[in-house]
Amino acid sequence: MAAIAEMQSSAPATEYHAKHGDQGPVIEVRDFNLWYGAAQALHDITMTIERGLVTALIGPSGCGKSTLLRCLNRMNDLVDGLTIRGTMLLEGQDIYDARTDVIALRKRMGMVFQKPNPFPMSIYENVIYPLRVDGIRDRRILDETVERALRGAALWEEAKDRLNESALGLSGGQQQRLCIARAIAGDPEVLLMDEPCSALDPIATLKIEELIDKLSGQYTIIIVTHNMQQAARVSDNTAFMYLGRLIEYGETEQVFTTPRLQRTLDYVTGRFG
Amino acid sequence: MNYVERDATRSLAEALPHSRGRVTDIAARGEPYTWALGGALALGIVMIVGFLALVLYNGATTFIPKPITVVTLADGAVVAGEPFRSESYRPGPAVLEKLAPEVRARIAANDGYAGRTLYRIGNYDIYNEDFRWVSDFEVARMGHPTDLIYAERLEWGPFIGRLKSVHVGGAVREAASMPETELARLHGEARARWQRLRGIERSEIGAVNHQIERERLAVRKAEIAHGAGSAEARQRAAEAAIRIAELQREYDRLAAEARRLREQDRAVRVTLAAIGGEEKELALSALVRFYPANAISLTGKAGIYLSRWWEFLSDEPREANTEGGVMPAIFGTFAMTLLLVIAVTPFGVITALYLREYARQGRLVSVIRISVNNLAGVPSIVYGVFGLGFFAYVLGGSIDQLFYPERLPNPTFGTGGLLWASLTLALLTVPVVIVATEEALAAVPRSMREGSLACGASKWQTIRNIVLPRAMPGIMTGIILAMARGAGEVAPLMLVGVVKLAPELPVDGFFPFVHLERSFMHLGFHIFDVGFQSRNSEAGKPMVFVTTVLLVGLIFLMNISAIAIRNRLKRKFAGSQF
Ligand SMILES: Nc1ncnc2c1ncn2[C@@H]1O[C@H](COP(=O)(O)OP(=O)(O)OP(=O)(O)O)[C@@H](O)[C@H]1O
Ligand SMILES: [Mg+2]
Repeated sequence: MAAIAEMQSSAPATEYHAKHGDQGPVIEVRDFNLWYGAAQALHDITMTIERGLVTALIGPSGCGKSTLLRCLNRMNDLVDGLTIRGTMLLEGQDIYDARTDVIALRKRMGMVFQKPNPFPMSIYENVIYPLRVDGIRDRRILDETVERALRGAALWEEAKDRLNESALGLSGGQQQRLCIARAIAGDPEVLLMDEPCSALDPIATLKIEELIDKLSGQYTIIIVTHNMQQAARVSDNTAFMYLGRLIEYGETEQVFTTPRLQRTLDYVTGRFG
Repeated sequence: MNYVERDATRSLAEALPHSRGRVTDIAARGEPYTWALGGALALGIVMIVGFLALVLYNGATTFIPKPITVVTLADGAVVAGEPFRSESYRPGPAVLEKLAPEVRARIAANDGYAGRTLYRIGNYDIYNEDFRWVSDFEVARMGHPTDLIYAERLEWGPFIGRLKSVHVGGAVREAASMPETELARLHGEARARWQRLRGIERSEIGAVNHQIERERLAVRKAEIAHGAGSAEARQRAAEAAIRIAELQREYDRLAAEARRLREQDRAVRVTLAAIGGEEKELALSALVRFYPANAISLTGKAGIYLSRWWEFLSDEPREANTEGGVMPAIFGTFAMTLLLVIAVTPFGVITALYLREYARQGRLVSVIRISVNNLAGVPSIVYGVFGLGFFAYVLGGSIDQLFYPERLPNPTFGTGGLLWASLTLALLTVPVVIVATEEALAAVPRSMREGSLACGASKWQTIRNIVLPRAMPGIMTGIILAMARGAGEVAPLMLVGVVKLAPELPVDGFFPFVHLERSFMHLGFHIFDVGFQSRNSEAGKPMVFVTTVLLVGLIFLMNISAIAIRNRLKRKFAGSQF
């Protein structure tokens, strides 16, 4: 404990004024540090993610947003030479505990990537992939899930007549919505989205933003974005990161209008970054 | 210091306008490289196309019936044969001395060269040679008499001469007075009878012998298991004796039938006369086919051509492989390649999967990877030695001890055979599959794996559902390469199971139907054998080309089908939009 306190004191303090949801935090990150080889990518991140709210991660390129997001579902386990120190809790359970079942953990967190990555299978098979890996074969459950997830991802109307066609025949925006449908098909508690709209046109982006709006409340969503308007539009809380540190973490409206730190203001108004 | 810096900036400023000249250096435009690349490509294509054209041309023309030329020599001798090839040569002084002065003058005017032609004269049993050179200056007269026939015989190679008479029963009839259709009918009947006879002798009597042998082995087995003279062994022996007596009766019946057929066969005979008058009498059924080489119509020629191809593809070889067909070799090559693919695919893919997906990428894995790549450079004969020593003697020997003790000391698996040959070639080609699979696995986009893992799939589920299907086209490429390499390999096979003439196919009607322990024939080895090991390599030369065409065609066919499968897989992944 003393060591942690010492580390906290050595790091520049983070400004916290995040909104609290009415259901309490779902994820807690405490003094989280991460190194790729010898290079430190995250410094002393401490934050809580409120259940049912949308949290946006913003910050200049290379500041560690993706790294932080991928740490939450241990996607970074694939990277060689990774060192971490600190704690991450999902509902009080340590994500990095040796006894944690990584697969079960990932089933509780859907993830949408920057580039749409549908599998080379039919649309139907793509959506039910999380159920397939659970060994569910009941056609009725699968059909229901497909409809629910595709409706949830606002793709049902476009895809319902071509469920058995290859997912690779969809447009980029449709593919991304399919990936969202896939992420929510397994009914996760948390949805992690890493720049989900960066490859999309404004209309598709709008659809996905509406979708996030619709999904908030039902899911806890963490979204990484470079688009300030988007962050302002969809999120409840915004975390501003810079050079691997969490600079300011607060209610979105305040972060964008009256941030507490000059650096945040500079970034959100486009003066650097 | 200061000076150097100033100088540097100045020279840069001065250099700039000049460095963007209007005229592009020829090397910068890259045209010489383009020419060199184009030239190299053209050279490569010319070599491949030239080789294929040579093989195809020779292979395709071998079976065309050729006219027979009758040459009367200056000394009165007569030679009849198919012109095989011509060349010019320099006759020796001893030959020149005997020639008339004007002939000698003509040769001298031609720088001492004279032409000569190689004739395929056949009738090996009479002349003791198949071919004969005839120098142009020896020739007095040339003709193409229409009554000459070219007859392919079961023994002694082709006969070139005249059909003199036909004997049916006791009657002798002049061939000239016999309608063609009747002769053809007689010949057809004789051939059918001969086929039936061969069927009885080969497969039916063979089957009876096989069953008798099995009874005998069962007795041996009982003796080994329970001890000789034990009650079980005696009982088994008694049972076997009953069965064998039954089989013996069946055998006698078949033998009598065969005897009857053979007598009938012997009663229908022909007398052939060579061009010099030497006569030869033989059973009509011993003529595989015959035709009047100089009087045959175009459709007749086409018929002969096709029937020769059919015989080549569907029949067994005869005359030390220089005649007849290569069906057993086609079958052996195909079966071996198939087994090779069945063996090499799981080996290679599993190894590559482990190396790429599971093993920690460290020094050890690098060393293994380099070793695997180097394995591809080990001479194939070394694999043959290994296959013989390890697979046949060690593995096969143990299998014999365990499962076939009753057949010892005759080896069953303890010698070269189809299985060991396929495994040896699988070993030889596994680096190709490993390397290709590793490449294919590495090429699966990371985003696919992450997408699957993020859905809560385990590593194995990800590999099975996402990575392997996606890598399949690449893996197929590796298998195709391995197949092509394996099907064309000969050297190691000579040690581990390929033989000049296999008595039985590896697949037949006797349980367990597929006999992986049997030695087999192979097109590649057949080429070597016919071309370089036979009594008369000149006669084997056309067969070398035909067999090569066949081998290339077979590999081509197998590759085409594998490529078709791969393309179907590929199409599944096409059309992705990003
Ligand atoms: N696999 C890796 N190995 C080594 N370094 C990495 C790896 N992934 C990221 N980094 C480094 O970690 C730092 C943070 O990267 P990260 O991808 O988290 O940035 P980001 O904020 O998501 O940037 P962007 O907005 O451009 O996506 C960067 O300096 C990056 O170079
Ligand atoms: Mg990123």
